[in-house]
Amino acid sequence: MKRTAAMLGLILLCLALLDTGVAVVLHWAEAQGRMGSLVRYFDYGRSVPGKLARWEADPDAPGSLYNVAWRPDALAVSAAGFADEATDTGPVIRSYGMSFVNDIIAAARDQDPDLLWDNLAGPGAPPNFTYALFQEDRANRRRGDIAVLGILSSSVPAMAALSSRSWVFEQPAPYTYPIFQPEEDGLKRIEPLVTSVAQEHALASDPAQARAWADQLAERDAFYSPITFGAVWLDASPLARLVRRSLGTAHVSQTKADILAGSGYPYVEVLDRMIVDFARTARADGQIPIVVLVQTRNPVNVDVLTVARPGLERANVAYLATAEHFDPTDISGFVSDGHYTSEVNARFGTVFLALVEAAQTQR
Amino acid sequence: MLFTQLNFWLFFAIVSALYVLLPHKAQNRMLLVASYIFYGAWDWRFLSLILLSTFIDYAVGLRMATATRQDKRKQLLWISLAVNLGMLGIFKYLGFFLDSFQELLTWAGYTADPFTLSIVLPVGISFYTFQTLSYTIDIYRRELKPCHDFLDFALFVAFFPQLVAGPIERAKNLLPNISAPRILSWDALGRGAVLCLLGLIKKVVIADAIAPSVDAIYASPDPTRWDVILATWLFAIQIYCDFSGYTDIARGVAKMLGFRLMRNFAQPYFAVDPQEFWRRWHISLSTWLRDYLYISLGGNRGGPWKTYRNLMATMALGGLWHGAAWNFVLWGLYQGGLLSIHRALAGTHKRSGEGAQRSAMAWVRRILMIAVFFQAVCYGWLLFRATSFAQIVDFTGRLFTGPPGLTIPTIPAAAYLGMVVLLVWDVLIERTGNVRFYQTWPMVIRAGIYAGMIYLLAFGATTATSAFIYFQF
Repeated sequence: MKRTAAMLGLILLCLALLDTGVAVVLHWAEAQGRMGSLVRYFDYGRSVPGKLARWEADPDAPGSLYNVAWRPDALAVSAAGFADEATDTGPVIRSYGMSFVNDIIAAARDQDPDLLWDNLAGPGAPPNFTYALFQEDRANRRRGDIAVLGILSSSVPAMAALSSRSWVFEQPAPYTYPIFQPEEDGLKRIEPLVTSVAQEHALASDPAQARAWADQLAERDAFYSPITFGAVWLDASPLARLVRRSLGTAHVSQTKADILAGSGYPYVEVLDRMIVDFARTARADGQIPIVVLVQTRNPVNVDVLTVARPGLERANVAYLATAEHFDPTDISGFVSDGHYTSEVNARFGTVFLALVEAAQTQR
Repeated sequence: MLFTQLNFWLFFAIVSALYVLLPHKAQNRMLLVASYIFYGAWDWRFLSLILLSTFIDYAVGLRMATATRQDKRKQLLWISLAVNLGMLGIFKYLGFFLDSFQELLTWAGYTADPFTLSIVLPVGISFYTFQTLSYTIDIYRRELKPCHDFLDFALFVAFFPQLVAGPIERAKNLLPNISAPRILSWDALGRGAVLCLLGLIKKVVIADAIAPSVDAIYASPDPTRWDVILATWLFAIQIYCDFSGYTDIARGVAKMLGFRLMRNFAQPYFAVDPQEFWRRWHISLSTWLRDYLYISLGGNRGGPWKTYRNLMATMALGGLWHGAAWNFVLWGLYQGGLLSIHRALAGTHKRSGEGAQRSAMAWVRRILMIAVFFQAVCYGWLLFRATSFAQIVDFTGRLFTGPPGLTIPTIPAAAYLGMVVLLVWDVLIERTGNVRFYQTWPMVIRAGIYAGMIYLLAFGATTATSAFIYFQF
């Protein structure tokens, strides 16, 4: 008994010494500006508020996504660009997506430099972000334009989230978006309490609003969890960060799997209604709707074409499904960060160009 | 409920707390209930199969012990074999054989109405059926007395640490451990905890981290030559860490409760020939196959050709035990082939195995032989991991003529660190011949090592949710 207790005490002491040593080394490396992959590895496990606080203090820090993809900013840029545009240029492609969709259209433009293109995008943006932007950017499109709605397979479960901070635990971009729920024949928008980076900043000096926002996340966002948002003080310990990282990523994966298994959020129905409404709205405004379905190689994933197909067929909308042109299980088509290689994007770009041409001919 | 999930450790904490408070017989009853809860958490419907196996083998054991006529004893043994192997046949192999029969008819030019069976494979069925079979066969051979306490016997069948993936315990080892009061000691608790920690590192830090890279290559339609080689090497490490990690945790958990489960792995990749490999890999299965199948078929008693036939049959069935697919049979035949070739050559070449003198040259020679034999083992793993016969042919071709380059996804730094730690650990066991080599070291050093292992586990743990590979068997 005595020996066991002594051993336990010694193990705890060694752990504390080891943890302190690692913390000192990481702190020194950071102070020297040596943000190597090892430092980042430990940083991935900070609590979400901890990561956001560090990014807020230094928005230009490597990997910071603090100022990225806030909808009011994106819409202001879009409006300014639209106001400066000549009106007789011919159709402009207006895409609402993420880097995957941007890569495809950029590859198409490489093949046809005359293509006019404007995009609004967020990192790993879920369909509720792209669809919300499509709705809000309505004034910044003209008749004859081509509206592109991007849907990323790995982000489909995030339709039950209000912000990327809750479901991208390792790099929680704080930008927000509404959650859509089926209501009668359409969709009901549930707006997040925080919609702009200014409001995000103001939370620090407005505890009541911060609490209300946390309450809304806890109530509405399927991914919100004390594991990822609580006990910020534990961020001081690298060991605690490692443990949080493990638990946090497991929590996010499990929540995604639960959503895809059909428990909690009706993502199939909502996605279907989004596609139908997207096509109807674009056509009502005299625009050509195109849906781009990107199948990624993430482990927790949905077959996005299968899920979207009923809506695509009902709306009779043109679409590009990457899985129809490249097998997403073939790892030779991906670069290390999970994006498609330029060769594969060029293939998608060719298909996209043909789609645009066909859609314009049919008009 | 996986060993790598928090809910298992919560479950184990509750079981342990109750365990220390109860007297011996009550401990056994509580462990039986806990074992059924543990299994029921996978799928409660299949508890009925465990119960059926338990009732039949308990009754058969008692009747066999009192039966004096040999034909009556044989009849009883056949009942046990029919029930256990029948269950295994229906739930594990029926769909496979029907599919194969259908394909054969189609190949022969007959049109068969398509039919499919959707039978769910009960977790661990191959393990507990073999375990209970060893009980009745041992009684039949008069090597074991039957267990008279039904609930103790039920615990022998369903003991949760080893229920779903072994080790496949023998009744003569585990039943006395159940029947007699167990001594709980701080020393056993500590050793059990170290085994659990080592098992978790193997599974979480190494096997789970390697799995995505292996899966990516085995799902890729056009891997390069080095992709196939690296993925197969990595799969060799993955399956060892996955399965021996499970066994370590099972043994550790049992040890903390005062049970002694058999060792299932003894540094198998340090083997220099197939015979040595099978003395080190999945020992509880290989000894089961030897004692109840190979010897029953005649072993090496009928001359060389019958010996080779028995080896091939035993290993083919051993392969089929792993899963209802032809690639497992092929893997078994490959292992049988290696054993037969080794047996044929062993007469003309002096063995260089474990007993050889360990001079410097002998060590170099042994290391070279380990490296060469490892490649033979790895080709077996390619057969084992492949998803179809076409992939076996394709990947085998790519080993020699595949395109250049490397597209396999990188594995995390923690996995490399884990592999180094595991290699050092296994080398130390191999060199000292003592699995508890660390116990002679000063306390402070040991505490530092345990702390480092805990840190490594946290470092490598990301999403430890993958099921253990051997659960499907």
